[in-house]
Amino acid sequence: MSQLKRKRPDSNSVADSLTEHERVVYDAIRSKQEMGISQRDLKREINLLDKLASKSLKSLQDKNLVRLVPNFQSKGMKHYIAAEFNPSTEITGGAWYTDGSLDSDFIGVLKATCLKFVPNLKVATLEGFVEAVKKSRVSQVELSKKQIEELVESLVCDNELMKVKSTGIGEFASIPVGKVCYKRIDKGNRVSGTMASIPCGVCPQISICTPDGIVSPKTCVYYNTWLDF
Amino acid sequence: MASQYGLKYAVHIITSHFGNLVAKVCECLLRKGPLTLHNLIRFTELTPLQVKNSLLVLIQHNCVQAFIEESGVGDGAKLNTQYIALFNNIIHRSRFSKFLAIVSKELGEECLKLFEGLLQHGRLTLAQIVDRAISSTKGSDIAPGAIRETFLKLLGSHFVERCPAPEPVLSPPNQELPSSAKRGSKSAKLQKIETETLEQRVSEEAAPSEAMRFLLTTDAESNVDGGKDENDSSSSLVGEKRKYDALELDKEGEATNERVILWRANFEEFIRRLRHKACIEHVRHLGNGAVIVLSAMLEATRSAENKVKIDASAPLSLNSIYEEVIKNDAGRNMTFDRVRSSLIELGCPPLVKAFNDSYIIDFKAIIDLAQNDEVESIVLKRYGQEAYKMFRALSQAGHLLETDKIAEQTFYEKKDTPKVLYKLWKEEYLHMEKLQITGARQSQLLLWKVNKKNLWEHVLDEMFHAALNLSLRLAHELEKEKELLNPPQSRDRIIRVRLVLESAQIKLDDAIMLFHDF
Ligand code: SF4
Repeated sequence: MSQLKRKRPDSNSVADSLTEHERVVYDAIRSKQEMGISQRDLKREINLLDKLASKSLKSLQDKNLVRLVPNFQSKGMKHYIAAEFNPSTEITGGAWYTDGSLDSDFIGVLKATCLKFVPNLKVATLEGFVEAVKKSRVSQVELSKKQIEELVESLVCDNELMKVKSTGIGEFASIPVGKVCYKRIDKGNRVSGTMASIPCGVCPQISICTPDGIVSPKTCVYYNTWLDF
Repeated sequence: MASQYGLKYAVHIITSHFGNLVAKVCECLLRKGPLTLHNLIRFTELTPLQVKNSLLVLIQHNCVQAFIEESGVGDGAKLNTQYIALFNNIIHRSRFSKFLAIVSKELGEECLKLFEGLLQHGRLTLAQIVDRAISSTKGSDIAPGAIRETFLKLLGSHFVERCPAPEPVLSPPNQELPSSAKRGSKSAKLQKIETETLEQRVSEEAAPSEAMRFLLTTDAESNVDGGKDENDSSSSLVGEKRKYDALELDKEGEATNERVILWRANFEEFIRRLRHKACIEHVRHLGNGAVIVLSAMLEATRSAENKVKIDASAPLSLNSIYEEVIKNDAGRNMTFDRVRSSLIELGCPPLVKAFNDSYIIDFKAIIDLAQNDEVESIVLKRYGQEAYKMFRALSQAGHLLETDKIAEQTFYEKKDTPKVLYKLWKEEYLHMEKLQITGARQSQLLLWKVNKKNLWEHVLDEMFHAALNLSLRLAHELEKEKELLNPPQSRDRIIRVRLVLESAQIKLDDAIMLFHDF
């Protein structure tokens, strides 16, 4: 979580002392506010010689008027923002990103927190998850409902939760009928797939395997290992 | 039309059961579709006698059906007998052990013996069945009456049925439409014809009427189904004679019936039961209560099912479910409340739906879930966790999603996402579309989607391929064992190999049924 905060530079005094070229560059960046601008777009926009632009950028950075921020969309690309703005979440990627990279550890902890909240085959609502995450104090920053929803939805993709609609009875008794809920999937009790349990089912060569070809069930190495008693 | 490997697997089954000659004729029919005897001889380059004999075998074992197609307008009088391979019935041959297990469990040893004979011979008359049973139990005198009783049990459970008409007449599709039909129903019927395969149409046309299908003898054999039997005598090839006259009304007629009416295993009933069994397996993770309640519901509604692939069961009230539950041992200690709460469990996700105070089984939902599970487990094992998540995200969305959106939903690095998706696309697990956008920085977006229909077909074809490979490998192992005079310890090995391969075959066939028959 790097919501970088800088002291607001004393813009008047420093900004006044800019060269003509620095001024052009500075204004261009500043006009983009919290969105900032990539080096490539900047150069296209201000129409300065490459060398001059680079030099101006360098000195603006030295004067603490602009700074580089990581852009999670395109990590290799330099992205500038005027010092008085905090980069928008469209640049930082929001809560899930730290320095432009996906914060997998943080996400992992949050997911585990959500799962702990619903035991096997039980159900929970989105509001329930929001509350559980808040109580757990896993996150320093407050996560929005939408962000928790993103988390929960990804747990659906992970096949840990299943999206169901409340029927208003049984375990849904306290939940209005028709409301979307999440049910914990009991994985321990599931049989794994049939195809996945035999060599051909997961074989990378299946498309070239023929009864009498070079790759064939008679000579197949995967079978040899499988049947190696 | 069967898929490439479905076809190869079918030919493989026929080869191992009936030899190369019969398989050649069968393969020709499977590949080229229905053919006349003349064309069949021409394409297979076998002698007429060879082809005829092969056809007789295939018809006897319900793998081929003869039919006559009325040619369209104009020279409507010209009728040619054609032969069509029945792909489903051929594949069913690999599941005989499952059918036998069902009969044995439900009706016991006596019925099993009769039924086994029927599977071995494809089609038999009751007289033949009785003769076989008597000769097989030499010494101990067994009354024909008792055998008939046993047969009636099989009939009562719908495990056997009357054979279809030898040569039904198929009118051209456009003539099947009654001219007075309203527009709506007309298009509905047209659609039905379009989605039905020729194999289905022929089988439907040939099938005895529901009233006749499980009837041992009827008073008016000649009247009820007379229309269909009209052409029977024209088929010398099939050698079936089903023209009846008034004589049959008396005792003598009944005896004739026994010698004339052919019976066979009713595959449909077995597939239905296996479908039910698969449904039960799929709710097992919900606990014992759910299993008992669903089993009871299936038992109570089964007789109302008129085809295998029905989407939903007949409705049942809570009371009648409870009544059915306590009929068997496992359910007897369930309280009314427990049944009710199991029904609630089955309702989330809605595998059993409640409406108007009654409950129906949503077969389609159960089968869909099971199919998804199977495909997803392949994706997981073959392409890894990340691919699995992305596949699920797409599969649940059910529409096109852009690369970045998928990355966000699955919390995966954006720049690495296309690689994973691309791999799935390359092996036909995903559909991809390119979207050109002008003006903005990014000039091309990639959109992805799970195309279920195509993918399911692809997966099924791979399953047939895998089934063929299992079978070939097993044959190869046994062959090897025979060739080498192996030391005793290798005998242990072959026993284990056999066990592993055969149980894999049985399980894989369950998966094939899930995608093909259910
Ligand atoms: S037989 Fe071997 S090579 Fe062929 S598809 Fe199966 S596992 Fe792959």
